[in-house]
Amino acid sequence: MPSSVRALCPRCHTAIYDTPYCSLNGMLALCLTAIIFFIPANLLPVLELHFLGSIRTTTIFEGAMAVANQGYWIVAIAVLTSAVIAPGLLLLSMLAQILIIKYRLQVPFFRDILKRLLKYHGLLSQVSMLEIYMISIFVSVFQLTDYTDIYLGMGTFCFAMLFLVTLFLQREYHLEHMWGLLDD
Amino acid sequence: MTSPSEQPQRNQGKDLGLTLCPSCQQLMPHKETHCSRCGSALAIRDYSSLQKSWALLITAAILLIPANIYPITIFTSQGQTRHDTIFTGITHLIDLNILPIAVILFTASILVPILKICGLTIYLLAISFRLPISKKRLMVGFHVIEWIGRWSMLDLFVISITAAVVNMGQLLDAKPGPAATAFALVILLTQVAAKVLDTRLLWDRLESKDDTNGNTKSS
Repeated sequence: MPSSVRALCPRCHTAIYDTPYCSLNGMLALCLTAIIFFIPANLLPVLELHFLGSIRTTTIFEGAMAVANQGYWIVAIAVLTSAVIAPGLLLLSMLAQILIIKYRLQVPFFRDILKRLLKYHGLLSQVSMLEIYMISIFVSVFQLTDYTDIYLGMGTFCFAMLFLVTLFLQREYHLEHMWGLLDD
Repeated sequence: MTSPSEQPQRNQGKDLGLTLCPSCQQLMPHKETHCSRCGSALAIRDYSSLQKSWALLITAAILLIPANIYPITIFTSQGQTRHDTIFTGITHLIDLNILPIAVILFTASILVPILKICGLTIYLLAISFRLPISKKRLMVGFHVIEWIGRWSMLDLFVISITAAVVNMGQLLDAKPGPAATAFALVILLTQVAAKVLDTRLLWDRLESKDDTNGNTKSS
């Protein structure tokens, strides 16, 4: 099929075939950038609160722990999985996939790994919710400005960049195309 | 790719002896038991998925009640403690004149869960009892539900951020309430209910009149 052509399912109008943007080098660059931003986004505080001279900060992980300490560990697990673990695994999995395909590692061992990663890709990308966390940061800022002064730190910037880069990465990435590359 | 779009009668893969691999979307003859590309088990239709989906959906609907009745945040400001359920939390925001945030939170934590449960119920009823509802419309609804369902997590993220940052004893303090767990489970169960369902079951129903779509769009 020629490029820039889309095929839609005649029954439910879901795209069956879309032009794969997938340029491996482009994706590799985006993926590495995202991984670089991932580290400070999780280590630096995403929100800083100044209240009567005392400063409170929080990272995503501390947020989850604060909820867990109150006894709501299901909520904590949900937050941790969807905002830290799943995005991290997703990026690592994409990096591994790209490297295996790029360097044509045709050993059965690597092919097996690639198969497994591709199988779980759909699940991982559904569970990772960076965009929702991004909006949540802004919602909490607006909610709390009535009571105190809120500052957005370097961590917020890194998180926003992580979100943007991952967004573009997922636009480039095409699962169907990756499965096709497995057969070559 | 040359689909039989010229023919008035649409063929189903089931009748042509073909089926899609559930995990890698490879087209396979359904004599095979496992996909040649990724090795997952193939099934023409997964009839048990309907039961699983019903069970998860009913559990989620029951959990929606405690999620809305019990307080989801316990907020202390200068000695005064407020127990906010999801709904009173939003009315409080409207009182404070932060309307856009109130709208976002209302959509994410009240509208979306209810729409999701109602939508899935209609969807499952349509499959189980062959209700005469347009399949195309149902499928569009299903895609919308699957996509928008994740946004309910917004409320939980906000709670975790505020609980971590606002902890100054009697002066200013925010804690999650018992509804948080119920709410998290509602989101989880409805997402799994939508995920587990084999949507091909819908298309097996007898062709009804309102599903004749002659125009095959490709842009």
